[in-house]
Amino acid sequence: MLSSLSSFTFLAAAEDGADAGKAIALALGIGLGALGAGVGLGNIFGSMIQAVARQPELKGELTGIQWLGFALVEAVVFYGLLGGLLAYVLV
Amino acid sequence: MKRALAAVTLLALTLPTLASAQSEPAEEESKFDPAHEWELQTWGPELKIGPIDMSLNKAVAYLLLGTVVSILIGIVLMRVKAGRDPNRRQALGETIYEVAQVQVAEQGLPTRAIGRWFPYVATLMIFIWTINMIGFIPLPLSDERWEIGGVEIPTLAIFAATSTLSVTLALAFMTFVFTHVEGIRENGAVKYFKSWIPDVPKVMLPLIVPLEILGQFMRLISLSIRLYANMLAGHILILTFIGLIFVLESLVISVLAIPAATIFYLFEVVIVVSIQAYIFAALSAIYIGSAIEPDH
Repeated sequence: MLSSLSSFTFLAAAEDGADAGKAIALALGIGLGALGAGVGLGNIFGSMIQAVARQPELKGELTGIQWLGFALVEAVVFYGLLGGLLAYVLV
Repeated sequence: MKRALAAVTLLALTLPTLASAQSEPAEEESKFDPAHEWELQTWGPELKIGPIDMSLNKAVAYLLLGTVVSILIGIVLMRVKAGRDPNRRQALGETIYEVAQVQVAEQGLPTRAIGRWFPYVATLMIFIWTINMIGFIPLPLSDERWEIGGVEIPTLAIFAATSTLSVTLALAFMTFVFTHVEGIRENGAVKYFKSWIPDVPKVMLPLIVPLEILGQFMRLISLSIRLYANMLAGHILILTFIGLIFVLESLVISVLAIPAATIFYLFEVVIVVSIQAYIFAALSAIYIGSAIEPDH
């Protein structure tokens, strides 16, 4: 396994410099997008927990809104991913 | 139940891996790239009607299969003779119906429009759920061939029709068209387009109005990209983890890679598939509802 890992790093070093740059840009873009979405998701679920703790009888109504917010926020990562992939493939 | 599902998934992901690991030396020169899964090759003859390409490919096959399965879901689960004590089929059908009505339709549509638009949003929900779900079942519908006993059959692969942009864009475009058609029909063109303009001071209008018009088209983009990128990212994650075995060329990696792939697989199947179907239908309902009653 060690030998295969070292051969992998060797392969990566032999790659074209521009490709490496694009890969770093892609990863950085997704990472920054995930940072924002992480904060947003934490907010949503944190507020949901608080709301249910205060008024447990509203749980059913709140769940739908929670998942709507979850999907809307989560999509932000994927805009980043898609932009990164487009840049990676097209540029 | 959950444990059994996890075990079966682990096994199902392991078997094709071992099979492909054995046939690996034959295709030494082809480098592993997850993106190859999304290169659609035409099957059979090319059918072109003017500029429209009608020929069959992987995504079309999955769409057709999804259509058949979602029609079957409707017939099997909903066309039940309602009995005194409901059997499991009827109970499941009623659960789906209730989710479609309470969680999707009533959330966005005004009461008077539910009768007209409930079929559309419920169909969207069931159809998208079905094609998402079929995308995670290994089916012999891929472009690669695999030889067993002299017969060439397609390899088992996971691929969702919703992980191609044209499919989701077509679905989002339907919602886009219906939104404006319904808005104009209910309110009249002048009143409907006036409702786009928000209550702001006159000075701000040249700045706000283009943004609002752009916002209407951004809905089209965000609705399609959300579903597309979610399914694409899910499949790429699973493929990448399994592909690590071939990139690093050692079976030892599979001890780590296959459980990791299984975790993401279960996450996608249990959570993402249903949520994306729900979100697409709910947002369609909200957009159409807000066009019918622009004041809200």
